[in-house]
Amino acid sequence: MDTNIVEIINVTREVAWLPWAVQYFFLIGLSVGGLLLSLPGYAFAREEWRRLGRVALLVALTCGLAAPVALLSDLHQPGRFWHFYVVLRPTSWMWWGSLFIPFYVTGLLVHGWACFREEFQQQGRVDSRLAALYRLAALGGGRNDRLIRGTGLVVLAGAALVALYTGTEVAVVKARPLWHTPFLPVQFLMTALVGATGLVLLLNRFAAVTDHEVEVQANRLLAGALGGVMVVGGLWLALGLFGIDRTHAEALESVAKSEAWRVTAIWAVLATALPFVIAVAKPKGTGLLTGLIAVHSAWMFRWTVFIGGQTVPKTGAGFYEYALPAGPDGLLGIVGTAGLWVFLLLSITALLPTPPRSAPHPVRAVPAADRAVAAE
Amino acid sequence: MDQSRRNFCLGAGAATVGAATLSTAPAEAAVARKGGDPAHRWAMVVDVRKCVGCQACTVACIMENDVPENSFRTIVSTYEVTEHDSSGTYMLPRLCNHCEDPPCIPVCPTGATFQRRDGIVVVDNTVCVGCAYCVQACPYDARFINHETQTADKCTFCVHRVDAGLLPACVETCVGGARIFGDLNDPGSTVSKLVREQDLKVLKPEQGTQPRVFYVGLDPKFQGRVDGTPTLWRPSAHAERSLAGKEHA
Ligand code: SF4
Ligand code: SF4
Repeated sequence: MDTNIVEIINVTREVAWLPWAVQYFFLIGLSVGGLLLSLPGYAFAREEWRRLGRVALLVALTCGLAAPVALLSDLHQPGRFWHFYVVLRPTSWMWWGSLFIPFYVTGLLVHGWACFREEFQQQGRVDSRLAALYRLAALGGGRNDRLIRGTGLVVLAGAALVALYTGTEVAVVKARPLWHTPFLPVQFLMTALVGATGLVLLLNRFAAVTDHEVEVQANRLLAGALGGVMVVGGLWLALGLFGIDRTHAEALESVAKSEAWRVTAIWAVLATALPFVIAVAKPKGTGLLTGLIAVHSAWMFRWTVFIGGQTVPKTGAGFYEYALPAGPDGLLGIVGTAGLWVFLLLSITALLPTPPRSAPHPVRAVPAADRAVAAE
Repeated sequence: MDQSRRNFCLGAGAATVGAATLSTAPAEAAVARKGGDPAHRWAMVVDVRKCVGCQACTVACIMENDVPENSFRTIVSTYEVTEHDSSGTYMLPRLCNHCEDPPCIPVCPTGATFQRRDGIVVVDNTVCVGCAYCVQACPYDARFINHETQTADKCTFCVHRVDAGLLPACVETCVGGARIFGDLNDPGSTVSKLVREQDLKVLKPEQGTQPRVFYVGLDPKFQGRVDGTPTLWRPSAHAERSLAGKEHA
């Protein structure tokens, strides 16, 4: 029977998880990814991974510190955040998240300190006005691989919990077929690795001297992560296309008719396949390009999942429209978090003994320079 | 007994037998319920055949509950349906279903959303942090963020009126008598009789939420997400400024 339905009156529900949420999931994902990339070089003391690990640790720290700010801003009543901590709500993944985030971020700070302690110590030996402060920060010690490994394993547990909760929190929402898939947590993690590797490539590229060994290493990792993303994405698509699983078929059906979603899909494939090919074919000298695409594709994935996902009505016809507002609920939120991240990056790289670019007297940092991003 | 408008009465407190066809809430959910009188289980039956699409309920709700501009706790979704060259209008009043197994509750990280022992699902907006997790979890788009209180908002079955022995404002105002409100724990109530005697439908039964808003004459084409051309009218200020045809940025 040929039926044509035109919706004349209905309500448009505006997105309730704002671009702040996109920023949060992006930054916390990159932080977790960065931490994972830093582990071989630091926690497992593999020297050939140390230089890449240092850049990755910067990614983990800067993104990990900026992320909670974005999360807090996504609450419509941010001043009430303490309400999370006066109740027991084990049925809510978000409530678990409110425990995991402080655990992870605290662990990350302690681990970051343990990793950089050696550099603090070296800076403390240099004759400068800040030497006393560096000595204080080193707490009278230097490189301690056992401490690094111990804190590394603790923060790894924190990262695993964060990855678990961020993915599951969204995947349990049965009301949104696009989200309600066991693949989502895996996709978040894989794209987080892509984004973190991308950011490592960018930071490495913008360091005073680009470290081509790190670039090649990171590009290889990137190719691996992108390969993983393609496999998981392909599986998701197959389950939906062949109707193997109802939720996946429903998810696909909910967006299949939309031109905008088709464009997004093609875009996503290109943003995955292109850097993959480049990273495999020419891992040296392409870090800026692959890094940019990788960071962009990790962000786009989250934007599409959250903002795109919320434009699919649960009962109404068609799609809700979304236009990015200019104010704090939109563009300002995105720019603001990006600004905070840049500030954190500049602060940390300025304070840490081997800033990639801003070292006023490179000679001063010579003992640490062989382990620096800036050095080759 | 007509419970659709004036003759609504509380009472019949002794009657506790639920409708035979309705299963009760999972044990853990029932335990977490607080407030309200467990002697009642409030529910609504919407007879879509009687709805004329006048939106009097929509307006009454806004006035009664001080719902901010551009937000709705209830609305009558209206569709133009063309079949075999003949057109007609289909009206579907929507509101919170006060589900027996509501997915909006377990996700709430603060406990601000809870279910009373009489089945009404409410939000304590002095506790709510506005995280909007419940907004995502509701399969019916029944919830929204109220930008005056910056907390989650939705239909409460006019809990303040019900507690005072009055009908919800939408029921009180419905000219067609399409909205019938009553107590499922009272076997003599109109809603109980309708649930017992008629083949009532609920929205999205496959979600397993067990809605306690039932429909008479619900066309299966409108039971889930409606497959049609989207609404022409968009209340959101942002959306009005955006380009037509752009589905997501
Ligand atoms: S309709 Fe939505 S908001 Fe209302 S009780 Fe059910 S899940 Fe909760
Ligand atoms: S918006 Fe409020 S009621 Fe909804 S889940 Fe968050 S805290 Fe609970």
